[in-house]
Amino acid sequence: MSALTLTLKAEVAQRVDCSPLTPDKLAGKSADDIATIELVSGRLSLPVAALFDISGDDVNEIQFKNSSSKLDHVGHAMSQGTITIEGDVGAYLGQFMTGGNIIVHGDSFIYSGCEMKGGQIKIHGNAGDFVGAARSGYKNGMTGGTIIITGNSGERTGDHMRRGMILIEGNAGDYCGARMVSGTIAVIGDVGRHLGYGMKRGTLLLTKMPQHGIGANFNDCGAHTLSFLPLMFAAFKKLDSTFAKLEPFSRVQRYAGDIGSLGMGELLVKL
Amino acid sequence: MIINGVTIDETFAEAFPMKGTRIIITAQNLEWAMNSAVAFTGFATSVIACGCEASIERPLDPSETPDGRPGVACLIFAMGGKGLAKQVETRAGQCVLTAPTTALFSGIEGEEGKDIALGKNLRFFGDGFQISKMIDGKRYWRIPVMDGEFLTQENTGVVSAVGGGNFLILAESQPQALAACEAAIKAMKKIPNVIMPFPGGVVRSGSKVGSKYKALSASTNDAFCPTLKGQTKTECSPEVESVMEIVIDGLTKEDIDKAMRVGIQAACDLGADNGIRRISAGNYGGKLGPFHFHLREIMA
Repeated sequence: MSALTLTLKAEVAQRVDCSPLTPDKLAGKSADDIATIELVSGRLSLPVAALFDISGDDVNEIQFKNSSSKLDHVGHAMSQGTITIEGDVGAYLGQFMTGGNIIVHGDSFIYSGCEMKGGQIKIHGNAGDFVGAARSGYKNGMTGGTIIITGNSGERTGDHMRRGMILIEGNAGDYCGARMVSGTIAVIGDVGRHLGYGMKRGTLLLTKMPQHGIGANFNDCGAHTLSFLPLMFAAFKKLDSTFAKLEPFSRVQRYAGDIGSLGMGELLVKL
Repeated sequence: MIINGVTIDETFAEAFPMKGTRIIITAQNLEWAMNSAVAFTGFATSVIACGCEASIERPLDPSETPDGRPGVACLIFAMGGKGLAKQVETRAGQCVLTAPTTALFSGIEGEEGKDIALGKNLRFFGDGFQISKMIDGKRYWRIPVMDGEFLTQENTGVVSAVGGGNFLILAESQPQALAACEAAIKAMKKIPNVIMPFPGGVVRSGSKVGSKYKALSASTNDAFCPTLKGQTKTECSPEVESVMEIVIDGLTKEDIDKAMRVGIQAACDLGADNGIRRISAGNYGGKLGPFHFHLREIMA
C-alpha cells in the first residue's frame, strides 16, 4: 500500500473545507469512493476528484501535495494516522484532533491546532494567529497534544489554551499565552508585546528575556532551580525539533501573573 | 537434599497474593534520598500491624532516575489496592514531601485504570499555589515548599504481587545463624523486584497461625523455638540452638524463587563447618496462600 496522495490540480478560487479527508473518515473507502466525496468550497459543493488528483490507497497516511493556504480544516477531529502537507495550509488545521500526526512543509493560516485534544502537529514554517487557541466565543483552547512550529507563530498563540504544549522554535507574536488557563508554551526566539496578557495559569518558558520586557502585571518571584524542567527537557529530547537539541536548563527567573487575572501563571526565563 | 553439609528440608514456604508498587525518591544527593526512603519504608515489616510491607529495593544511579538525580527505589506491598493507596499516600506525605530536596516518582507501570494516588492529593498542601504539569503523557504536581518546589508524579501503578516467601536457617548457635542470614541477605539484595521487609531482612520471631489466647491470631512458632525442645513438638534437633527466618516479598513468584535460591545458597556456602545445619520453611499446610515455594525444587 502507498500513501493516499491528493494533489491539488490548481489554485482554488474559494476556501475549501477538507474536514472529510481524514484517516478516520476515509477508513474503508476506495479511491473511487474518495473521488466522489463532496467538499464545501464557497457556495459550491465539489467532488474531491474535481479539485485533486488522487493516487495511492493507504488512508492512514494521507499526503496533500501542491497544497494551498485555502485548504481549511485539514485533519479535523482526526484520531489516528498521519497527514503530510506539501505547501501551505489553511485555517483550523487539526481542529479537535485527538491523536495522530500532522506535518506541514509550509506555512499554516490562522487557528492551527485550535481546540485540539491530542496528537501532534508539526509546522515546518510559520503559523498564523491563534495557534492552539479557542475559537471566538469559546472558552477552551487546546486541551492536549503538542504543536511544534519551526518558524514563527502569529499573534495570540495559545489564547485560552487549557492543556498541552506549544513549542515555537522561532519568534512568537503579540499576546503570546493570552488568557491561558494552563499548559506550556516554550519559545526559543523573541516574543512580542503583552506576553501572557490575562493569563490565569500555565507556563511560558523563554530562553531569553523578552525584548519588550516583562509586563507590569507579572511579579518577580526570584531566581530558582526548578526540578520539573529536567523532565520537560527529557521529553523534548524525544521530539523532532530544535528543542531536542537545546542545552537543558533548570535555573530560571520566575515571574507570576497575570495579577490582573487569576495570577497563577508563570513566565520562566532562562538565567 | 544436602548442600555443603546443610540439610534442605522436604518442605515448602507458603505465600499469598498482595498488591504492590515501586516508588522512586530522588534528591540532591543519595544521602537525602536515602533519608527519605528510610522514613518512607519505616515501620513496614508486616501487614499484621503495619498495614503494609515495604523496604528499599536499591539505590539508583542518576542515569536511572526520571530527573537525573541520585535516587532510591522502594517497594511497598499491602493486602489490597485500597490499603496500599492509603499507606503510599500517608507515607509520601509525611516522609517524602517533608524531606529536603526530594522528588517522588512512580517506578512501575500497573494495570491501566488501576493506578493509585502518589502526589494526587498531596497537591492540596500547596493551598492553591500548586501547579500541574503534563510531561510525556504523565501528570506531575509542583507543590511550593519552603526549600523550593516539591515535584511529585500524580499516580503510581499497582501490580499483583506475592508476599510471605520465606526460609528458615537452623544453626548451632545464634552468631552462626545470624552470620548465615547476613550472607543470605547480602546475596538477595542483588536480586531485583524483591524486598526483605524485616529489620536487616531477618526475623527472629517467626510465627504460627493461632494462639492459646483467643484475641491473638498469630503466636510464636514454638516448633522452631530451640529453648522449647523439651516442651513442645519440636522441629529443632538437639544440636540446633538458634533459628532465624528471612521473609521475602516480590513482584512475581519467579522473583521470589530467584531470591530464595541465592539466599539459601549463600547460607549453605557457609556450610556445616560453620554450624549451619538445616534450611526449612514456614507453611501452614497449604491453607494460607496459593503460592508454594518447595525448597528442594528451588535448589535443584
